[in-house]
Amino acid sequence: MTGFVRDMARVLTMRCREHVVLFSRQLDTPLSRGEAFGLRVHVLYCGGCRRFREHLVHLASLGRELAAQSGREPGLPADVRTRIYARVATATKKN
Amino acid sequence: MDHTRSSGAPVGVADVMTESDFPSRTTLDAEAAVLSEGSTDTPEVAARRWVTEHGDMLWRFAMARTRSSEAAEEIVQETVLAAMQSYGRFTGGSSERTWLMGIAAHKIADHFRRVRRAKSPGMAGISPDATCVCSTCRGMFTEDGMWACTAGKWPDLKLSEAEKKEQADMLRACIDALPPGQSEAVWMRDILGIPAAEVCKAMGLTDTNLWTRMHRARVALRSCLETKFGVRKGKGQ
Repeated sequence: MTGFVRDMARVLTMRCREHVVLFSRQLDTPLSRGEAFGLRVHVLYCGGCRRFREHLVHLASLGRELAAQSGREPGLPADVRTRIYARVATATKKN
Repeated sequence: MDHTRSSGAPVGVADVMTESDFPSRTTLDAEAAVLSEGSTDTPEVAARRWVTEHGDMLWRFAMARTRSSEAAEEIVQETVLAAMQSYGRFTGGSSERTWLMGIAAHKIADHFRRVRRAKSPGMAGISPDATCVCSTCRGMFTEDGMWACTAGKWPDLKLSEAEKKEQADMLRACIDALPPGQSEAVWMRDILGIPAAEVCKAMGLTDTNLWTRMHRARVALRSCLETKFGVRKGKGQ
């Protein structure tokens, strides 16, 4: 059996409890082609997993919105910067 | 094994989800990967450079999490001082930016641990059992690992700017309610889009640690948002 078929078969025979772990892992690291294909087939007939995946997509999209919001906020204020420079200088003298 | 997103979208994501769902968000430029290896900067020169080049990013990270300029100042300052002390031990592997973010993440988590200890009854975190999205089941799955219920549909994402902002604020509140350590990982990974391998190095986690932490956090965020959206369903379809 090729790796592709073996991985796909493993994913297709998993329980949904394990599928959700894979959906999440997929956001952090590439799955094997067989695993990814298995998941894709699984969501064709599993409403619960389809909804879970939808929610992850929604979360990712809100995450981008939050990143954009945070990026528009002001950066390090000048007075804080000056105080940190001063603190760095003191720390250097101590060492 | 190369798990970074910067080398292209993970095969699996590209296979299952469209590129627009999860675009490769490497906010950290490859060119920012200035490693201290071979650098002749003294710690003080390096520290001033970090403040100049990465101060804004550290400040926004600390402000986003604490929303207090006093706390943020302390965190940025402690981060720079701690980075000066471990300057010699920074071996590269992640960008200097991510390395600093990792130190800041630890400082932020420490800050919240202190705050929560100080006023523990006031801070209601997300319960670790809050994984289900229905009102009637105890967990996400039945004993044999199948869905205990199918979650409700969430409000459409093609929203007005105001609605999008409202939802993003809800997500922010949910991230705040995660346990310290998890919130920071989520912020680095899912908000700033720092590649998983870099987050691991910066936070001192193995791949598996990070995957588990992220999965738990995403499940908790989903449950938290579900409550905030008010779309919790009863058992069954």
